[in-house]
Amino acid sequence: MGDVSIVHTPVGKTYDTRLRDHLLALKMRLGSPIGLILPLVILLLWQTAATFQWVEPVFLPAPRKVAVAFWVMLTKQDLIFDFLASISIVGQSFIYGSTIGIGLGIAAGLSRKFEQFLGVTVDTIRHIPGIAWLPLIVLWLGIGAPAKILVIGKSVFFPLFLNTLQGIRSVEKRHIELGKVLLLSRRQMVLKVILPSAMPSIMVSLRYAAGLAWALVVVAEGLSGLEGLGFLIFRAQGLLLTDQLLVCMVVIGVVGFIIDRQMYALQARILRWQQGFKG
Amino acid sequence: MSVAGKLEIKSVSKHYDVDQNRLQVLSGLSFDVHSGHFLSIVGASGCGKSTLLRLISGLDDDYEGDILLSGEHIYGPSLKRGIVFQDHRLLPWLTLEQNIGLSLENTGWSARAKKEAIRAQIELVGLSGFEKAYTHQLSGGMAQRAAIARALANKPEILLLDEPLGALDAITRIRLQEEMLRIWRVEGTTMILVTHDVDEAIFLSNEIVVMSSNPGRITKRFLVNLATPRDRASAEFIELKRQVLVELHLYRQQSKDAQENGIDMASLI
Ligand SMILES: Nc1ncnc2c1ncn2[C@@H]1O[C@H](COP(=O)(O)OP(=O)(O)OP(=O)(O)O)[C@@H](O)[C@H]1O
Ligand SMILES: [Mg+2]
Repeated sequence: MGDVSIVHTPVGKTYDTRLRDHLLALKMRLGSPIGLILPLVILLLWQTAATFQWVEPVFLPAPRKVAVAFWVMLTKQDLIFDFLASISIVGQSFIYGSTIGIGLGIAAGLSRKFEQFLGVTVDTIRHIPGIAWLPLIVLWLGIGAPAKILVIGKSVFFPLFLNTLQGIRSVEKRHIELGKVLLLSRRQMVLKVILPSAMPSIMVSLRYAAGLAWALVVVAEGLSGLEGLGFLIFRAQGLLLTDQLLVCMVVIGVVGFIIDRQMYALQARILRWQQGFKG
Repeated sequence: MSVAGKLEIKSVSKHYDVDQNRLQVLSGLSFDVHSGHFLSIVGASGCGKSTLLRLISGLDDDYEGDILLSGEHIYGPSLKRGIVFQDHRLLPWLTLEQNIGLSLENTGWSARAKKEAIRAQIELVGLSGFEKAYTHQLSGGMAQRAAIARALANKPEILLLDEPLGALDAITRIRLQEEMLRIWRVEGTTMILVTHDVDEAIFLSNEIVVMSSNPGRITKRFLVNLATPRDRASAEFIELKRQVLVELHLYRQQSKDAQENGIDMASLI
């Protein structure tokens, strides 16, 4: 780049370097910039399709129009409120579902009796999808948050329960033997040997369940209730507000992405003892 | 320094039942290991060496005969009997110092005493600076040394070593043999070493027990009365090695050439 083209401002950083810092920080968070190529291509295609009106604007508004709709929803409507409503439901379902899942998974993993006791019930309920429970639960609990928390919590519970159980069962015999020659008590054995060796499968299912919960909240809100991103999406469809519909979709995708990255970071931190951990 | 106890193995036999077939693994084994002595067991693969160590460690109580330590029947695992498994068996989720600390959990020592013991053991095996390293960050030799440190930390009366250096390259192995010798002198622990390496057995032990298989039994005992430090190239060393190899059926008196060959082959096993 020629010297002439850069105008150095006397104070602070130039616009150029600030932009570069920004991009660098973004790169750190998103990984290799190669991952940004496809989204940009899609955006470009979208823009082209809108410009040449390949699709009726009612069905595919231009990106700029969607951006404006985002701004309007953010400032004039209650996008934040609906967003927080969804996050709160996901957060609660995730915490309850995973706590109970891990708890019962550990109990069943440590006691064959308890596993047998739960076996039939768990394996039957597991095969009824959470969404199939929703109508009944809404009849009982109404269309408010508790019904959704229960349904999504159930969908979080199962992967956690099954993976915790399986993780505990696959503890290596030689590690148990080591614990025996070191005279570890039952408690020490569980805390120092059995749980850590189940940790990788627990973490995998936590990450999976977090993504699942976020996807399900949209469905649950769409099927019942009067708030949340899922509700907004289906309302927008009904009113043919395609720009708002797309805003919701993008927000859901981006938030899902952030949730997954956060879970990955947590997983990498907790499993840092694993050789070549890559997720 | 730990109090070394005398180990007595009296007519010990052991069998497994495999698909209704009785597999006799050990048959009428008897030998003593005196306080503070270093005994090596050599023998073909599958002759029951690991099985014997499992019996002595107390991991397996299902055998005939008697095993006594300091005059008392052993019963179940005990902190008096440390074991180093053939795989190092460090727990991958614990750091080096946590792994060593695991063997101190039930010693009843104060936190300070534990910390000091961990530090001393890490220093003894030459791993200072790696206290916070996870297992995958250690080399094979370092992991083996860590496993030895873990087994020594709670001051067992007797240390059982199941081919602790088997998986290592020749150079690392010789270095660790010297290190084990030094540790044995410092700690004074009674040692029982299972090895495939006749050189290693002669270099380290007061006594060598040769076992043969089907069923596993003792065929010969050699007292090693060589001066220390032992010279692996000395005539006495090589002569004793020849005798042990003959006992293992790994050595045949042949032409000079073949003889050299025979020794080289055997030391590779
Ligand atoms: N749990 C078991 N069930 C049945 N048979 C067993 C069991 N463990 C060992 N054996 C048998 O006992 C015999 C001795 O095994 P062991 O592991 O003690 O041999 P080893 O002398 O240590 O051999 P190596 O030098 O290869 O380690 C083998 O024939 C093996 O098949
Ligand atoms: Mg063995």
